[in-house]
Amino acid sequence: MNRIAQGIVLLLLGAGALSSTLFSDLYLNYVQPGFRPFLIAAGAALGVLGVSVIAGEARAALRGLPGPDTAPAFCHADSDDHGAGHGHATPRVAWLLLLPVIAVFVVAPPALGSYTAENAASAPPPSSGDGGGDDLADLGDPAAEGPVEMKIQEFISRAWTDEKRTLEGRTVRLTGFAVPNPEGEGWYLARLQMACCAADAIVNRVLVTNRPEPEEDSWWRVEGTWQPPEGDLRSVRNHRFTVETMESVENPPDPYE
Amino acid sequence: MPERPGGSPPAVRTSLGDSLAAGWDEPDGGLPPPGWGRPRGPRRLATVWVFALFTVLLAAGNALLSDRLTSEAFLAWATVFTAISLQALPFLVFGVALSAALTAFVPASFYRRVMPANPFAAVPAAGAAGMVLPGCECASVPVAGGLMKRGVAPAAALTFLLAAPAINPVVLVATAVAFAGRPEMVLARLAASFGAAVTVGWVWARLGRTDWLRPPRADHDPNAPRLQVFRESMLHDLMHAGGFLVLGGLAAATVNVVVPREWVAAVADRPVLSVLALALFAVVLSVCSEADAFVAVSLTEFSPTAKLAFLVVGPMVDLKLIALQGGTFGWSFVRRFVPLTLAAALVFTFVIGGLLL
Repeated sequence: MNRIAQGIVLLLLGAGALSSTLFSDLYLNYVQPGFRPFLIAAGAALGVLGVSVIAGEARAALRGLPGPDTAPAFCHADSDDHGAGHGHATPRVAWLLLLPVIAVFVVAPPALGSYTAENAASAPPPSSGDGGGDDLADLGDPAAEGPVEMKIQEFISRAWTDEKRTLEGRTVRLTGFAVPNPEGEGWYLARLQMACCAADAIVNRVLVTNRPEPEEDSWWRVEGTWQPPEGDLRSVRNHRFTVETMESVENPPDPYE
Repeated sequence: MPERPGGSPPAVRTSLGDSLAAGWDEPDGGLPPPGWGRPRGPRRLATVWVFALFTVLLAAGNALLSDRLTSEAFLAWATVFTAISLQALPFLVFGVALSAALTAFVPASFYRRVMPANPFAAVPAAGAAGMVLPGCECASVPVAGGLMKRGVAPAAALTFLLAAPAINPVVLVATAVAFAGRPEMVLARLAASFGAAVTVGWVWARLGRTDWLRPPRADHDPNAPRLQVFRESMLHDLMHAGGFLVLGGLAAATVNVVVPREWVAAVADRPVLSVLALALFAVVLSVCSEADAFVAVSLTEFSPTAKLAFLVVGPMVDLKLIALQGGTFGWSFVRRFVPLTLAAALVFTFVIGGLLL
């Protein structure tokens, strides 16, 4: 890889990072919203570095210096390293840096959806050492009108620890996408939760049985109530949710919670 | 992955080593491609044309392909691969920039003053330094390379490489958040990771040979402008580490999508096997160390010691890290260093897990 190619590869990589953050919300399919400034900074740094390498080469070309990639004087002493035999030359594997560029510009893969939700690990019940639902905000006055908006993750962690059944009877509003239930009745309303990036996504879901199954991967905002299970809360695998109303929503800007 | 557009594969043939060996004016079939019109034209110009073609193909590929790619498994794989790449990119860039700054702006005498001269004393000091600097494992590899270039003992730099991503403040806080109400997990992670890193450093100081490591580049020309040194060092490190990071991302995404979670769960209730299984899982999954505590806590079927193995092994040995180390230090280094690290991490996991958890 000659120097001008290296410069262009870095520039393209920087452009990929910048275009997926500055000019679209594509990055939300892969990483956390809070990661945006870091991606922008990294993309800008790569762009500046690429441009400065290309500009140096262009100046050399204009002056008609021989050889496109004469190594700079201070980078010559690499002796033969075993196997690779390239000395200080760029390893060929560096061309793989174009794969993320292709992934962002050509494939632009969508957020993980029902395919992953069917296979991924589901969120665990809160560990027993946890202070129950203490760290969750109070639900507010039960007499207050209007449904309570919640993340699915918040809903199920409440449901797992709600020994006093404060959730019972409250109308809750959840947003997620439809996932078929291969093991029996009903379907899941699910949302993927990620800690860092899409590679560590785990699924939060509630089981809906009183509505016909909508199209897989379609997004819905539902209002309804928790069906409190019989017996021990923690032994429940999937919390059931009775849907009262459901409306279709466009894909939310941030597909993860 | 769609076929790589035609622009790039021919260009693969023209790495600097090849072109030096082949001589400048030998006609080559690679770049520019036959029939291009100017087979003997300046390579610089040809490169620009190839990339112009590549950019056009990107746009065309986007128009033609993006709606037709519908295979769910492929898209999930592509999403995970893109996610790992984007997640690692800032850490790689900042790690490389820090390493280049160490090379360009900090005089070598500084390290000789700060670090103990004796490698056996320098190793724990380097491990403790890892506790202070936040950074992902992708960042610590080029930084360790930069430290070696400045004359820090390889054993101490390697200890820093292992300790920094495992026990830095961000990771410890993330662990405390993930394992809420179980501070012993944070303590166990700190103790086991620090112990393993220092042990590997001491073993390397005793047994390691310098020719196992790819010789670091000769020091720069003292008269070169510092900004130029900074730029060249960054370019060099990015080109060497970046491709391997992508390679590791490819492998990790494949494992992530292909291996069913049930396989992992199937071994959960066997005491020793479950620890080894989660250690292996950490190696192949290659989750960033700032996130791995959240993954570990989701593996509810496993014993605390097995989760500790996931937390201790993951930041020290994983697929993308192995590829990155191979690219930076050479494969004859990786062949020795990775098994040593894995063994030390497992021993400390069992000991600390037995004592604390």
